[in-house]
Amino acid sequence: MRVALAEDSVLLRDGLARLLNDEGFDVVAQCEDALELMRELSDHAVDVAIIDIRLPPTHTDEGLRAALEIRERYPGTAVLVLSQYVELGLAMKLLSDSAEGTGYLLKDRISDVSEFVDAVRRVADGGSAIDPQIVSTLLSRQRTDNPLDGLTQREREVLQLMASGRSNAGIAESLVISVGAVEKYVSSIFGKLGLSSTGTESRRVLAVLLFLSG
Amino acid sequence: MPEAIIDHAYTCMDGESEAVKAPRLIVVAAVSAIAIAATAGTILLELASDHGGPDPGVQASLHAWLILPYVFCGLFAWYRKPESRFGLLMIAAGFVTLLSSVSAANSNLLFTIGTAFDLVAFAVFMHAFLAFPTGALRSHGERVLVGATYAVASLNVVGLMLSGFDPGNAFSVIEAPELAADLLRLQLVAVSVLFLIGFVVMVTRRGAAGRPLPTPVRVLVSFFSLAFVMGAVLLLSLALEIPLDAFLTIQRTMFVVVGLAPFVFLLAVLDARLARSAVGDLLVELRSEPAPADLREPLSRALRDPTVSLAYWLPQYDTWADQDGRPVSLPRPGDPRSVTVIDSDGGHLAALIHDPSLDEEPQLLQAVGAAAGIALENGRLQVELKAKLQELEGSRARVIEAGQRERKRLERNLHDGAQQRLIALSLELQRYADKLAVDPKAQSQIEAARREIAVSLDELRAVARGLHPAVVTGHGLGVALVSLAAGSSVPAKLNVAIEERLDESIEVAAYYVVSESLANIGKHARATTVTIEVTRECDELVVEVVDDGVGGADSERGTGLRGLADRVEGLGGQLRVWTPSGGGTRVRAQMPCG
Repeated sequence: MRVALAEDSVLLRDGLARLLNDEGFDVVAQCEDALELMRELSDHAVDVAIIDIRLPPTHTDEGLRAALEIRERYPGTAVLVLSQYVELGLAMKLLSDSAEGTGYLLKDRISDVSEFVDAVRRVADGGSAIDPQIVSTLLSRQRTDNPLDGLTQREREVLQLMASGRSNAGIAESLVISVGAVEKYVSSIFGKLGLSSTGTESRRVLAVLLFLSG
Repeated sequence: MPEAIIDHAYTCMDGESEAVKAPRLIVVAAVSAIAIAATAGTILLELASDHGGPDPGVQASLHAWLILPYVFCGLFAWYRKPESRFGLLMIAAGFVTLLSSVSAANSNLLFTIGTAFDLVAFAVFMHAFLAFPTGALRSHGERVLVGATYAVASLNVVGLMLSGFDPGNAFSVIEAPELAADLLRLQLVAVSVLFLIGFVVMVTRRGAAGRPLPTPVRVLVSFFSLAFVMGAVLLLSLALEIPLDAFLTIQRTMFVVVGLAPFVFLLAVLDARLARSAVGDLLVELRSEPAPADLREPLSRALRDPTVSLAYWLPQYDTWADQDGRPVSLPRPGDPRSVTVIDSDGGHLAALIHDPSLDEEPQLLQAVGAAAGIALENGRLQVELKAKLQELEGSRARVIEAGQRERKRLERNLHDGAQQRLIALSLELQRYADKLAVDPKAQSQIEAARREIAVSLDELRAVARGLHPAVVTGHGLGVALVSLAAGSSVPAKLNVAIEERLDESIEVAAYYVVSESLANIGKHARATTVTIEVTRECDELVVEVVDDGVGGADSERGTGLRGLADRVEGLGGQLRVWTPSGGGTRVRAQMPCG
């Protein structure tokens, strides 16, 4: 699996590259800024680009703009945006019409290697990885009449994992239940929220996020 | 400009400035007596003339009509305004006309003398007209023009020496009357051309005046211009030897017109007394209660210059300032505007910035300045206050700006430094733990350390966000407010109606208005919903946070709202809070974002 990195901190860039190499990824480009990343992408086919949201020269939105551009120009390349803070508004901007092959994680997550590597693989395979912090912001959001009140504790746990982009198998593994049980919970949740539970897992992610943020 | 003599006239009468002494009354009386006697004499000479034209009576009265008004008005002007040579020029014009009319005498010597001055009279009139009102010619070109006219006019003496005019004249040296006749024709054409140039000068000058001249002065200048044209026509018709009847008609018309000028001059003086009363009106107006807030209007009325503006000297700031206390620089010499500085107590007080044409009326400017003295002192105090207020506002804005910059720098340092290092450290620990797979105790210790690091990272994130909301700078107000609204402890509706990015300090201030308001609502309002509206109205960013809670919010509660108001006002905006008891709370911030 071919990976390109864009991260201006040498310390983290090296750390990330080593980690990914150790885990069997092929890190084909290590870039300091978005421009360099775009150049590399035009030269190499890359499965996933891992991008720091704050990149030189202005350290504002260069990373986000690069991610959006890659989604537009290289549909075969997944993007995983890393940031030291996660913002619901940015998540919605990044996902705008599809969560396919897209991830948005707090930078801290890289230190939990197995989780992180799992997220990179998921995104590269066309799935999604949404930071748990964003999902919990959405779930704990105060509402006047909260449709989530009708969910059981277990259903909320499943919803949380589902919204962060886990597959049914991933959810089953996390909660130590069977995939069949997960499927039952999912259809129950979708029923209670009035959503139709069809389509791919990343469609499911976007639908849930839109529902929760709307 | 031509008004100057008039205003100067009254200041001299008031004894304000006497650089040149006015003629003593005995001199005035003597000159008057001589003029009357001499005019009477020439009238007799003309009536008895054996070589005058038809109607010697008419001719004699026309000469008197020209001589006496010029002499008397000249004396009047000289007495009133001795430093201006205009009066003397008028007197000279009268007397030279008198001398030229002596040519009617039967005595050969008197005839010759009168003839010698015949054309010189034209030159003196031209000199006087162009020198109005100061008595001085304005430019080198004008001096050349007048000098040339005098020179050509004096050539009559040469004509006389060549036995021109009358072969038996007293100056005759050689017999060349035909040469003399040619010379005279040449002189006549030359002077008429010079007169036409004088006309052009007069008209051009009038067009260049920057502010409207008072009517009598305008009429007077028109008279002068007309006289130039008529003089030229008269001289040309003489050179062309047109029939006597036609010539006499032109000559008499011209005499009437030129003779009217002194009367118009008197009218102008009368008008100037009205100008003085304009200064009186100014005094009355400035002492009225309440005093006019804007001094420009009464000042421009008194100066008859609608373009007048004011600058005040602020000694504390060592600068000139406009009515709003903003620093201004005064026009320099050569600029299209002129300045008159008004001093008081040995220092500058204010400056009148006005049309350059007023430069010729220093006394009027000073009279107006003196009349406005106290009002200007008041004006200066007010402007000084405004300047101080602006300085305070500016320094408040600078303090907030500097704080903002510093917080932003710290946030950036945390982001690039400690936070990255902690993440890298945590990553290293994890990799280290993987290698220690055989030692569960060490692994659990490393796991505990990583949890500590995670907590530290969370804390650092909170600190960084408190220092500066980087998301606002990076991604704009709209994106940043989504998280704020989602994290609100009271259900929040967010409505952001701006797409474009605004000035960073405005966006950050708006962000703080919302975050602080939401925090207050969460703590005190006991509200069930809150609405956040961000709109742009006429180049103002308007942020409104409205809740349906208990209201009665104390604006002094904490430092939050006060700090917010400082921030918003520092950007030239306004923060208002409506908080009726039991009626919810509305916080509205408006900031200019044009």
